[in-house]
Amino acid sequence: MRFLLSLAAILCLSTGTLFSADSTATEYKVGSYLFGALRAREIGPAVMGGRVSAMDVVSSDRRIIWVGAAGGGVWKSVDNGTSFDPVFDKYTQSIGSIAIDQKRPDTVWVGTGEPWVRNSVSVGTGIYKTTNGGDDWKLMGLEKSERIGKIIIDPRSPDTVYAAVLGHLWNANEERGLYKTEDGGETWEKILYIDENTGCTDIAIDPQEPDIIYAAMWQFRREPYFFTSGGPGSGLHKSTDGGKTWTKLTKGLPTGELGRIAIAVAPSRPSLLYAVVESEKTALYRSEDLGETWIRKSDAQAVNGRPFYFGLIVVDPQDYNRIYKPATMLSISRDGGETFTTSFGGVHPDHHALWIDPNDPNYVLTGTDGGIYISFDRAGSFRFLNNLPISQFYHVSCDQQQPYNIYGGLQDNGQWMGPSQSPGGIEGKDWQSIGFGDGFYTFADPTDNNVVFWEYQGGKIYRKDMKTGEQKNIQPQPGGNDPDYRFNWDTPIALSPNNPGTIYIGSQFLFRSSDRGDSWERISGDLTTNDPKKQRQEESGGLTVDNTTAENHCTIFAIAESPLDGNVIWVGTDDGNVQVTENGGGSWKNVVGNIDGLPKATWCSSIEPSHFDRATAYAAFDGHQTGDMTPYLFRTTDMGRTWESLSNDSLIGYCHVIREDLENPNLLFAGTEFGLFASVDGGRQWVHYKEDFPKVSIRDLVIQPDESDLVIGTHGRGIYIIDDISPLRQITPEVLASDVYIFDAEPYVMRSRGGGMQFSGSAEFVGDNPSEVAKIAYYLKKRHLFGDMKFEIFDSEGKLVKTLPGSKRKGINRIDWQMRLKPPKVPPAKTLAYQALEGPLAAEGVYTVKMTKGKSTYTGRIELAADPNSPHSAEDRALQHKTVMRLYRMQERLAYVAEAIKDARDQANDRAEKLKKKDGLRKELEKFSDKLTDLHETLVITEEVQGIPGVEKLREKVVNLYGNVIGYWGKPTDDQLKRIPVLDGKIDEAKNKFETITADLENLNTKLEKKKLDKITLLTREEFDKRD
Amino acid sequence: MKKVTLILMVLFLAVSFTNLFALTVDEIIEKNIEAKGGKERLEAVKATKATGKLFAMGGMEAPFVMYHKRPNNYRFEATIQGMSMVQAYDGETAWNIMPWTGSTEPQKASDMQAQTVKQQADMDGLLLNYKDKGYKIELIGKEDMEGTEVYHLRLSNLGMLEGMTIDMYLDAEYFLEIKQTMKGKYEGQDFDVTTVMGDYKEVDSMMMAHSIDVQMGGQTVSTLSMDKIEINPEINDSIFKMPVKEEKTTEKKEPEGK
Repeated sequence: MRFLLSLAAILCLSTGTLFSADSTATEYKVGSYLFGALRAREIGPAVMGGRVSAMDVVSSDRRIIWVGAAGGGVWKSVDNGTSFDPVFDKYTQSIGSIAIDQKRPDTVWVGTGEPWVRNSVSVGTGIYKTTNGGDDWKLMGLEKSERIGKIIIDPRSPDTVYAAVLGHLWNANEERGLYKTEDGGETWEKILYIDENTGCTDIAIDPQEPDIIYAAMWQFRREPYFFTSGGPGSGLHKSTDGGKTWTKLTKGLPTGELGRIAIAVAPSRPSLLYAVVESEKTALYRSEDLGETWIRKSDAQAVNGRPFYFGLIVVDPQDYNRIYKPATMLSISRDGGETFTTSFGGVHPDHHALWIDPNDPNYVLTGTDGGIYISFDRAGSFRFLNNLPISQFYHVSCDQQQPYNIYGGLQDNGQWMGPSQSPGGIEGKDWQSIGFGDGFYTFADPTDNNVVFWEYQGGKIYRKDMKTGEQKNIQPQPGGNDPDYRFNWDTPIALSPNNPGTIYIGSQFLFRSSDRGDSWERISGDLTTNDPKKQRQEESGGLTVDNTTAENHCTIFAIAESPLDGNVIWVGTDDGNVQVTENGGGSWKNVVGNIDGLPKATWCSSIEPSHFDRATAYAAFDGHQTGDMTPYLFRTTDMGRTWESLSNDSLIGYCHVIREDLENPNLLFAGTEFGLFASVDGGRQWVHYKEDFPKVSIRDLVIQPDESDLVIGTHGRGIYIIDDISPLRQITPEVLASDVYIFDAEPYVMRSRGGGMQFSGSAEFVGDNPSEVAKIAYYLKKRHLFGDMKFEIFDSEGKLVKTLPGSKRKGINRIDWQMRLKPPKVPPAKTLAYQALEGPLAAEGVYTVKMTKGKSTYTGRIELAADPNSPHSAEDRALQHKTVMRLYRMQERLAYVAEAIKDARDQANDRAEKLKKKDGLRKELEKFSDKLTDLHETLVITEEVQGIPGVEKLREKVVNLYGNVIGYWGKPTDDQLKRIPVLDGKIDEAKNKFETITADLENLNTKLEKKKLDKITLLTREEFDKRD
Repeated sequence: MKKVTLILMVLFLAVSFTNLFALTVDEIIEKNIEAKGGKERLEAVKATKATGKLFAMGGMEAPFVMYHKRPNNYRFEATIQGMSMVQAYDGETAWNIMPWTGSTEPQKASDMQAQTVKQQADMDGLLLNYKDKGYKIELIGKEDMEGTEVYHLRLSNLGMLEGMTIDMYLDAEYFLEIKQTMKGKYEGQDFDVTTVMGDYKEVDSMMMAHSIDVQMGGQTVSTLSMDKIEINPEINDSIFKMPVKEEKTTEKKEPEGK
């Protein structure tokens, strides 16, 4: 007991100190649960795929395909690519290698960190293993490896695994080289290591004698403005004792410095090897003696193009003279590497992964920058699998159409636009390609949606007329006395929030246009450091020059005009400047020196001027290209004179973007390399948004103002949308402290949407639509566990319209109200009246929401509003509603009449049963009953018939008319209106017939009384209405 | 120096505390059974009848009645437009009436549907006497689920479709079931169905969930909201048996009974 007390004292003391250390510390702690029901919906697109970096297939059952995406995680198909499921969402999404244990195919190894080290490449966090086909994963070490290029499992003992670790791209590290485990990943031994600048990129194992291993070592380094492939560390090595001892292979290979090497053993003749060796003169080499000596073969462009990006060679499993060279194009040699021909077949360029069925070499899978393709004829023709939503967006934007559209640019997949919703879901056909190249900023002109600005790498900006398809290059051009303009790979373009139609673009200078780019005004001097040491992109690449604008540096990277003052413009540069003007570009001040704790020359990735205060702005910085993975977020409230850091331990991953909410200055969103973060307290605490959301790189965020949606541009998983973030805007310490809080909601606009018919099978990726019903959002401090939880909705007259069950989780909950009254009562029959399963639309107006939680009740409100863009006049809508309600009542009246008939008939039958067969009264009752049965049969279907009888009784006629009228939110047709009294008359007719048949009931009842039997009583409308 | 010692001490105590309180699978299940009323009480329940409302996606609602009777009888019946939708099991045959298919004739349930119905029919639920049934239960860990601390159990060897498992989450404070996810394969494709339990209320000295949500792909597709649960009511066994098809006659049908 004393022990417990002292423990309590210690705990109190320590927490006390924690909080008193900072008097402004928050008293509450929020976690990922807070987002609760604010789930992000994935809308793709998958129509253009995205970069695939690794792949493996179960060799005994090629229907089981595992795909690793460069930034989109691991996907598994069990049906030959008809459909894929993501199986790695909780972990790092940049995948370097995948290896299936072919003896136990539910065991799969995943090495994270892409090995194709382009400028935009992500980072990994180690090697993972599943033993149950991807349901559960375990981190098996190599956490600091950053990128793992290849994993090979020893075919004799599957717990022996080799991992080729490239290591860090932007700085030196020691966790690189070739690693081996013999205990299924519990422990690893580094079996080949050169130095802290050299990694292992590729390995090959002799399938007949698996102790023979070949390893390619590579010295490489990337800087923000330069790339070097090659150095003394590079080389090809061989071990014949499972990695205990190594020999460097040199005979026949180029002398001098080497770069990246790809190596492959021919499976059908393991003494024969191929290697693509980057050197002063990159070429394919072939060895016929287990790698001891090499003979130079082709040095065609097919072989020597971009070795750092395409370090891969694959030999046909049955024909050792047939070689596949994945590169910009896929090329094939049929003569042992002497010559190559390029495979076409409409495949996206940039091949990074290739698999050939060992039992059927006609079957080839290739993974490209544009997804996966299947060939059934040895790469002669290909089928595209357009169902992997792994697109890598750099930036996204929205227009203000209804429904709004999303625009964005992607890695190697141009620029696309697509709707935020579409009948039946957002499919490939809904997306429209805009331009070409690597895509970045893409915007619709806010003054004319038909005009779209887009760009490809290096600031090549275009203006496109979406109707005609014509596009005009509008990139600013240097004048006679100007230096060359330096545009970043991902050149910033910004729209003015104050002057629609005004746009900005930045090189080292900032340009502004008010005529859609037909003319540009230069409004700054060089805003960068203009350091010549960082402008050597023409020499970049190392052994193979690779100047694609990816290393352009000392350029502007972020541009933002204050939404409160068009003269305040912020600029951030890739070489670490933050510049601001308060006079529309007349003069500029570099304020980056005022930021404490930010290393010099750190890349400014995003600037967000506040929507509430002219002097406030937020900035994100990203130092990962110098090996600094720290998240840097800052805020100034005095035009950059002073800055406070908004980063802390709750953020993970280097920062790409920060956004301030449009309505609540305390609500901030940040996108980092490892996901989406939000703060509800102005940046003191960050909450990782991770329930049902992949740990994916977030490059851009935009809030669509009309719908309050957060649109998320990911670099690897396409676009996600969190619909209606208004509950987050209302989070305060008081709300968090309350047991229950019902959020206010904007009036819900009721919109009628179209439909269609399509059966696209399982292979189509379909992005989710937003739900089109009103929502009640509420906060629960704790999960609801005991007692009732329900919601009742009352109209303005206090009439109960609908009861709904509540959801119970901790954090934000959201439940749907279909905005409909109860469905009409219809007479029971032998078939369902489908159109009557839907109730009439609730009227526009304010409703009260009563929430019951255990013994407590809470009150909220919900408002339904008409669509301001509805093509129907208020009178027409009122007429429609009136007509619907009339048909609603008609169905209930018909239900009553039919039920009264049936009820009387059943009573007659009941009495008849109690009489002797020959009794005259019995005969009379039977006659009475038969008349009622005949009448009942005119109203409803009473017989079940096999097939499709298509019978329409009066019930079907009324229900169909009701269904047709509720389906259209405007004026019903004249025929529909005229049909109502006709059908109403038929109900009257039935009622009259019923009254005629029962006119003499008194007489019958007197006879029944004489036999001491109960009288037949007729069902009244009141009694009927009381029935549920 | 003093500070370091203090921190170390707190850490040490925290670790030993975890050990002190680390529960085994059986201790967790025992607490769950206790929380629900105890083994003896639960086993004394021979039959139940629950009535309430079924809320389905798209705003549809239907009154329902659900019967359970030992040893393993089950019948669920919901009414829409006066028509009955039935799902039942008598210990041998799982069957349905599905009027939306165009027929009100009873049909044998598919092998897939039968799995869930059979599981439903076990009045003990998944945890009580699980060893007798040969189930295997593994403790995955104490973890955070949607902000609530839970014990995560994994049930396997359930005698259901090949490879089927159920991940069950018990509230770590009250030890009651709050969520379970059934995972399996059908024709090679993975599927999973999640059930969320809540609105626990005391019924005859037992704690019973009065709300059951069924979720697929993270979306709630239906909610069973129970107004009343009767313990040990009289239930005729015949309602669990699949009716024998009536011969079609050309005569007028018997009037439909209540």
